[in-house]
Amino acid sequence: MLVHRSTKRGVFAVALAAVAALAVSALPAQAFSPHTETGVTATTIKLGITVPLTGSAAPGYNKVPYAMKAYFDYVNDNGGVNGRKIQLVIKDDAYSPILAKSVTNDLILKDKVFALVGTLGTANNEATTKFVNDKGVPRLFVNTGFSGFANTKKYPTTYPLFPSYYMEAKVIGAFLAEKYAGKKVALIYQDDDFGIDALAGFTQAGTNFVAKIPYASGSQADPTVIGKWITSIVSSGADTAVVFGVSTATAAALGGAYKAGLAGKIQWILGSVGADPTTIKTLAPTALPLLNGAIAASFLPAPSDSADEYVAQFQKINAQYNKGATFDNNVLVGMNGAMLTVQALRAAGSKPTRASLMAAIANQGSKFASAGFSPLGWSKTSHVGYNGYWFGRIDATASITPLDGAGKYVLYTTDSSTGAVAKSAIARPAMPAKGLPTN
Amino acid sequence: MRKNRSGTKKAISALIFLAIGLCLLVLSNYVDELRAYQGAQIAIYVVAISSIILLTGFSGQISLGHGALMAIGGYAAVLSYSHWHLPMLLAFTFGAITAATAGFILGMAAARLSGPYLAGTTLALAVGLPSLANQFHILGGEQGLSFDIGEAPQWIAHKVGGDFSQYKWFFWVSVTVALFTMWFIKNLLQSRYGRTWRAVRGNPSAAALSGVNVGRSKVLAFTVSSALAGLAGALLAMLLGLVAPMAFTLTLSFTLVTGAVLAGVTNLAGSIVGAVVLVVIPEVTDAITSHLGSSEKITANLPGFITSALLIVTVIFAPNGPQLHRRKKVNAGDN
Repeated sequence: MLVHRSTKRGVFAVALAAVAALAVSALPAQAFSPHTETGVTATTIKLGITVPLTGSAAPGYNKVPYAMKAYFDYVNDNGGVNGRKIQLVIKDDAYSPILAKSVTNDLILKDKVFALVGTLGTANNEATTKFVNDKGVPRLFVNTGFSGFANTKKYPTTYPLFPSYYMEAKVIGAFLAEKYAGKKVALIYQDDDFGIDALAGFTQAGTNFVAKIPYASGSQADPTVIGKWITSIVSSGADTAVVFGVSTATAAALGGAYKAGLAGKIQWILGSVGADPTTIKTLAPTALPLLNGAIAASFLPAPSDSADEYVAQFQKINAQYNKGATFDNNVLVGMNGAMLTVQALRAAGSKPTRASLMAAIANQGSKFASAGFSPLGWSKTSHVGYNGYWFGRIDATASITPLDGAGKYVLYTTDSSTGAVAKSAIARPAMPAKGLPTN
Repeated sequence: MRKNRSGTKKAISALIFLAIGLCLLVLSNYVDELRAYQGAQIAIYVVAISSIILLTGFSGQISLGHGALMAIGGYAAVLSYSHWHLPMLLAFTFGAITAATAGFILGMAAARLSGPYLAGTTLALAVGLPSLANQFHILGGEQGLSFDIGEAPQWIAHKVGGDFSQYKWFFWVSVTVALFTMWFIKNLLQSRYGRTWRAVRGNPSAAALSGVNVGRSKVLAFTVSSALAGLAGALLAMLLGLVAPMAFTLTLSFTLVTGAVLAGVTNLAGSIVGAVVLVVIPEVTDAITSHLGSSEKITANLPGFITSALLIVTVIFAPNGPQLHRRKKVNAGDN
């Protein structure tokens, strides 16, 4: 018994020592913090991003953070932001809300970032909202179009950039009514707030589907699930199919349809989230014959459109700072978000605080230069970013061209409510010289 | 053993647990939120690992599916909290009871199985059960259900003073539950049931011959262990702020078994060591990789690698856990 007791005491001692070690190692960070704002020093600004680098949604989106980092490196090499270099801490959440929560914990408590930028995924951003709100951490230009994030009461520190999925569904609905009236349309959508937001938009647009096919996030990796999609499409007699999911879902749908001999029988219409042709081509080379002729919605210029001043400049930066990465929509999204971040940080002043950063976007954000074709709606009362889409056709080389021809973008704008869908003129500020904001 | 059963001894052990609890709660005032979060994690692992120790170490049954039982507890707690508006403590209790019910049913099958068959059955549960969430809309699919038990009650926050963060409150709740669990198991193991379980584990035939109902004893152990796993699941949901299938992966089930092996499967107090190790390893690897500036792939896989290596080393050199290994050595010296 004596031996037994001493062993037990040993165990407790080890445990207590470990806990104490953890505790002590936390103290210095707390005790000596010479800077007035978390994540900002005299020479650096630390930002954080969560994205799927692994798992079912990773292909394509895993390029976003490195494109952002490439742009930040470019800015850093050109003097940084008010003399400070931007550091981007990249965390993998594998597109799981649970993991997003725990890595966001790390970003805020361990890495002590100033702000979150470009955090990806609707469910993922929702999972971290409570904590982000509690800590008052600005969450800029999230890579999701869930319309709810524009709710300033529920998400006071969140600034969406993308037009909402609700808007996108309304625009696609109007497009279908205009160009594909009388067609039998099927819809494949991700069965969470991402897809449900779109579903609400389609309802608002009055679009009728002959089949609605929901899928659980991640289940697109299961061939039997894809088999069911194809069976549903065929049995519904659809001649047109809308896909509202991540890139891997689009690739799986097209690949499955090709196998089932549906090439040339269905007009595919792809939502912006899963419409990057480069990613789809890489994921499912067999899908290429079906990808050829597919129509996709987008809010940024075509990545292959080198005549666009934003695309041309970002291509240059990509070649120099993001070696080996093919310039596609994911890279464009990353760089565009990073450039907006730099402008927001500049506008936040020489002594940026979380409050001054958010005030800067509210006061000046609508004037920021960005590649998007529709104006940015940020103001003191609104967190809505872009509000418009154009449609393009993907060709045999997997590049996308506007329906009316190269460079001829037709922009459809709307809102996340009952407003009409209208064709709007393109209005955006010029690209700053060398892609370096001077605001 | 007779001494252990005496009232004073019990009172002293209860006092020790209380003292440890108070120390930890006071300590929480001196650490930042990250450590409070990790402390809560450790406490939750302690509950989960001790549920496995109770099952494997003392009743001789193997479960690779405790992650699934945690999921049942987590979902039950969240649903009862958000749909029936049960108070937090009742929601946790409901989670534990629901998991216990599932454990009871599973235990009926488990009592008829042993060794690899039992491991296989529970493993199947761990693989299949969490994805059920995608089949029923009420369970929220992959996105999960959010769970916010709110801040600490005013009177506690007021007494303690200062900035009483939510994570500190989670730490308080988890530590209290963990200590209560340890105290409960400790007493249970010293009771008639504990002795019965050990007898069944040692030699089922001999136990049956001495009048022990082996099947019933195994089912009971499985039920109690499941209740504790459910409780840990509810706590985990609280800490994460949501329940989703990805919170209860196969990896979690294996991690818990690993924690139990590292702790020594027959050593209840060792569950603390197991839990601390599980939380510290990612910290250590984080420090290593940030110094070496390695890629995300290494950062993501190093904790698993180190845990596996530790597991292998433990199994080879101290199959009954480091503590028992030392104890045996000393005992051998005595003999």
